[in-house]
Amino acid sequence: MSEKLNLYFDNAATSWPKPEAVYHAPETQMREASGNPGRSGHTRTLESDRLLYKTRETLGRLFNIGDLSRVIFAYNATDALNIALKGFLVKGDHVLYTAMEHNSVLRPLGSLRRGGLIDTTMIPCSEAGYADLDYLETAYRPNTTLLVVNHASNVTGTIAPLPEIIKSAHNRKVKVLVDAAQTAGAIPIDVQNEAIDMLAFTGHKGLLGPTGTGGLYVSPDIDLKPLREGGTGSQSESDVHPESMPERLEAGTLNSTGLAGLLEGVNFILEQGVEHIRQREEELRGYLWNNLRSISGITLYGPETSPGRTVAVVSFTIDGADCGEVGYILESSYGILCRTGLHCAPLAHQTIGTHPEGTVRLSPGFFTTKKDIDFLVQALVEIVQLASS
Amino acid sequence: MASSCYITFPTIFYAIRAESILKDQPYSFKMVPVPRSISSSCGTALRCRCEEINSIKDYLLQSNLELEGFYRLEEEGLKTPTVTPLSLNERGVSEQ
Repeated sequence: MSEKLNLYFDNAATSWPKPEAVYHAPETQMREASGNPGRSGHTRTLESDRLLYKTRETLGRLFNIGDLSRVIFAYNATDALNIALKGFLVKGDHVLYTAMEHNSVLRPLGSLRRGGLIDTTMIPCSEAGYADLDYLETAYRPNTTLLVVNHASNVTGTIAPLPEIIKSAHNRKVKVLVDAAQTAGAIPIDVQNEAIDMLAFTGHKGLLGPTGTGGLYVSPDIDLKPLREGGTGSQSESDVHPESMPERLEAGTLNSTGLAGLLEGVNFILEQGVEHIRQREEELRGYLWNNLRSISGITLYGPETSPGRTVAVVSFTIDGADCGEVGYILESSYGILCRTGLHCAPLAHQTIGTHPEGTVRLSPGFFTTKKDIDFLVQALVEIVQLASS
Repeated sequence: MASSCYITFPTIFYAIRAESILKDQPYSFKMVPVPRSISSSCGTALRCRCEEINSIKDYLLQSNLELEGFYRLEEEGLKTPTVTPLSLNERGVSEQ
């Protein structure tokens, strides 16, 4: 195998390629709309305002959100999670989170805990990445107000049993914040039917949009205090930040250029159908998983592919090989791009037994083909031979 | 002298939502910068015919929109218009 391709298996970090319209929309927005949304009232401003509204409306359709004023734009899932956590929690609160959480949750929670504001309890997970629901039942305290759950692990692709977790939390009147970084656009999400209290998502992964886009859904019965205050284009005479959503949680000029791209990404998803995308990505994961399983010398982590239980992420290690080296050879010798290491989720690696070495992570996307996977598998067969020689 | 009526909104979100909701309805309206003679939280207002303001208001309130204020302006060229604030009461939108 000497042919050097550029095969992208890092969609869990950021998706590529994007639908064609995603590339063009930001340029059109900059050239033809480009007014500062909410600020000046002229036609270019109004065009930007309409774009933002349309984007909220389209996200609302994707996630079945009733009140569009509860869709807040953020710069990525980390930003959305910070807005949610720091806007919701008050002194004395107790928070539950799972061992599969990303640093985007672990670090803000750690900082609030070290500051003496909150207390936290981690819900352990099985080696396959599923939260221990029996443990969860014992973990609530009278002051537990929030449960944070990673909808799907960026390390193993494990989809959390959301209905059971939400039911358990709501039985105790505890709100649930769902980190949908790996699931938005990849599997169906219905915030009303699933009774999700807050949903944090990023625009540049499964939603197929540009980086610097994302958002937070906040249910109507939750009032978050704003993390940022400043210009909104409304009530400008007052030094009190507006109460009205969505401006309450959106200070400063929004990334309308990026959101123009996000809108096209979500439009593409709605055209294809999320269910179709889910099936396609499950098929790719299953094909990849089964091929890798047959290679002696490769250890796979996380659950086997099964409908509705896994997103298109596969983690593995090769006996006798450093995962960073494997990633380097994949790119330098075969042109295959992936991610290696801890993937910003140290507790998940402790859970699956790969801390601190980490894993090689392969994340196909909607545009990946089985032929791409065949090439990747052949490359790994050769690397395994190299490692054992 | 011509008279036009204006509806103002707490934020641009509701202004654009109003436009989106009304665009397929048989009303004559336009989204415009809020005239300086009106005080508003948000810089964009809906301008409409005064005969239709009640009907438009009803339609928007049915759609759970947050509205801020209602005004009638007597406009004459570029002169500062005469502003009459309207209030929402049991007769709908009318002079206070």
